[in-house]
Amino acid sequence: MEIDYRLEQPLAIEARLTVAGFTVLAGRSGEGKTSLLKAIAGLLPAAGTPYGALAPQRRPIGYLPQGYGLFPHLRAWENVAFPLAERRGRRTRAQALMERLGIAGVAERYPDALSGGQQQRVALARALARAPELLLLDEPTSALDPATRDAVLGELIEEIRRIGLPTLAVTHDVQLAAMADRMALMVGHRIVQEGTPREVFAHPVSAGAARLLGYRNVLGGRVRGLDGLFAIVDLDGVTLLAPAPAWASPGTRVGVAIRSQDITLSRRNAAAPAENAFPVTLASVHEEGLSLRVLARGSIALDILLPRGTDTPGEAALAAVRPAHVHLFRPEE
Amino acid sequence: MTNWRGFQFAPGDFGAAFVSALYSLVALPIIALLGTPLAWWLARRDFRGKPVLDALLLLPLLTPPLALGILLASLYGPYSAAGELLARLGVVLTNTAPAFVLAQVYGAMPYYVVTARAAFEGVPRELEEIALTLGKERWQVFLEVSVKLARLGLAAGLALAWVRALGEFGIVLIIAYFPHGIPVQLWVNLQDSGLDAVYPLLWLFLLVAMPLPLWLGMVSRRRGLL
Repeated sequence: MEIDYRLEQPLAIEARLTVAGFTVLAGRSGEGKTSLLKAIAGLLPAAGTPYGALAPQRRPIGYLPQGYGLFPHLRAWENVAFPLAERRGRRTRAQALMERLGIAGVAERYPDALSGGQQQRVALARALARAPELLLLDEPTSALDPATRDAVLGELIEEIRRIGLPTLAVTHDVQLAAMADRMALMVGHRIVQEGTPREVFAHPVSAGAARLLGYRNVLGGRVRGLDGLFAIVDLDGVTLLAPAPAWASPGTRVGVAIRSQDITLSRRNAAAPAENAFPVTLASVHEEGLSLRVLARGSIALDILLPRGTDTPGEAALAAVRPAHVHLFRPEE
Repeated sequence: MTNWRGFQFAPGDFGAAFVSALYSLVALPIIALLGTPLAWWLARRDFRGKPVLDALLLLPLLTPPLALGILLASLYGPYSAAGELLARLGVVLTNTAPAFVLAQVYGAMPYYVVTARAAFEGVPRELEEIALTLGKERWQVFLEVSVKLARLGLAAGLALAWVRALGEFGIVLIIAYFPHGIPVQLWVNLQDSGLDAVYPLLWLFLLVAMPLPLWLGMVSRRRGLL
């Protein structure tokens, strides 16, 4: 399903993206992701397709806001039955939906007596009762218990896939995007990139996209030359090999993105890796859970995440990164 | 303070209680039917001239009831242009049942609207929006979500309006001295027979006034009943 919406208020937003299966739109807080969902639901004035000309009560969408928006004065099953118009058989139909989502046991409870995950399922069942063509989820992870978050969400995504309903979830949590069928990135109130998570995570198109995707090393450089499929890139005093994008030619300015966990450290005098190795000085080392977070200085500053069980090689070290893990993008003007 | 040994109702006491109860029971639905949409509208919509409407609404609250009665009498009393016009149409809004009810509505409705508006402002807008996305029409959202979630405040407002309507003295004194309701009868009793004639009627007043607010409080607090 193609979504194309344009808002003026409360923010100027332009969003054009494809929703297929479970699609995640990731962006920082304040990008207007919630406003976009509300616009698609018809709750904010906007121009767009699909449904742009319909009143909110005519749009075949299921909208789950952050916090789910359950009616506190209705029991779980009454919430699910809320959109059902005909009086007869409401209870049965609500019950069937709740059974399908595994929440039949809490039908008699009021929302304040439900866990975050149960509330989410009741809200989903209520949205499904309307028989929507498109499901909109606002920050589906925000009201979940961190300990069970991934499991609860994984089941939710599975359930949505089974139902086969196109779903657009917006989030600031890029990890959620990793679980999606498709993803898109919103930077500066517009969609800058979309595709499968594998494509998008590996090829950020801009510095903003790279930072959003969790790249902590976002640098600038210039292409010195091309060597087959690789580009030779000069950064301040360091030369790196990277897969060459089609637009790269000698002299082009490029952005360079490297993930913290893709950088290795070794002793200066150890047998150096053949490519992309350069000396650095370790400025600080902190434990981060089971890993070590290292800040290195040298001709370029790097943020490095060493996996469990790695020792730091001492203050003077050699950093290295595989050419395939150096991602080039067009720098912003 | 009540003289129990000489406890005796004055002539007209029961008639006054009947008048008060009956006309208040007429005034209250009028207040609810007009006031509830108005309160929701004030809570949810912004429009030009809203401050003027706010001021008009506060006017009966701020004006001493007696003064308001005089103002209303000069607006549609027998000697005013509007009053003459109405009289020619056969509607007399002085010393009649409609006059009595109208005086009560004037006195009590602002209390209801102010309370109900605050109650509606406390209803999360998001829940009204969600109800729309679930395919409900706006009037259904109003009845099934807004009113039900605001029910505590609405019940409190109704209780307040009921007490105000029953106890309305100043406006009624000017506009509808007849038929006597309890407040005017209290005044008459005091004038004619002294304090001993006041207390029995006061007891009667409490007996008439108390049940509805108590019932409203109980009903609105019970979840799932409304």
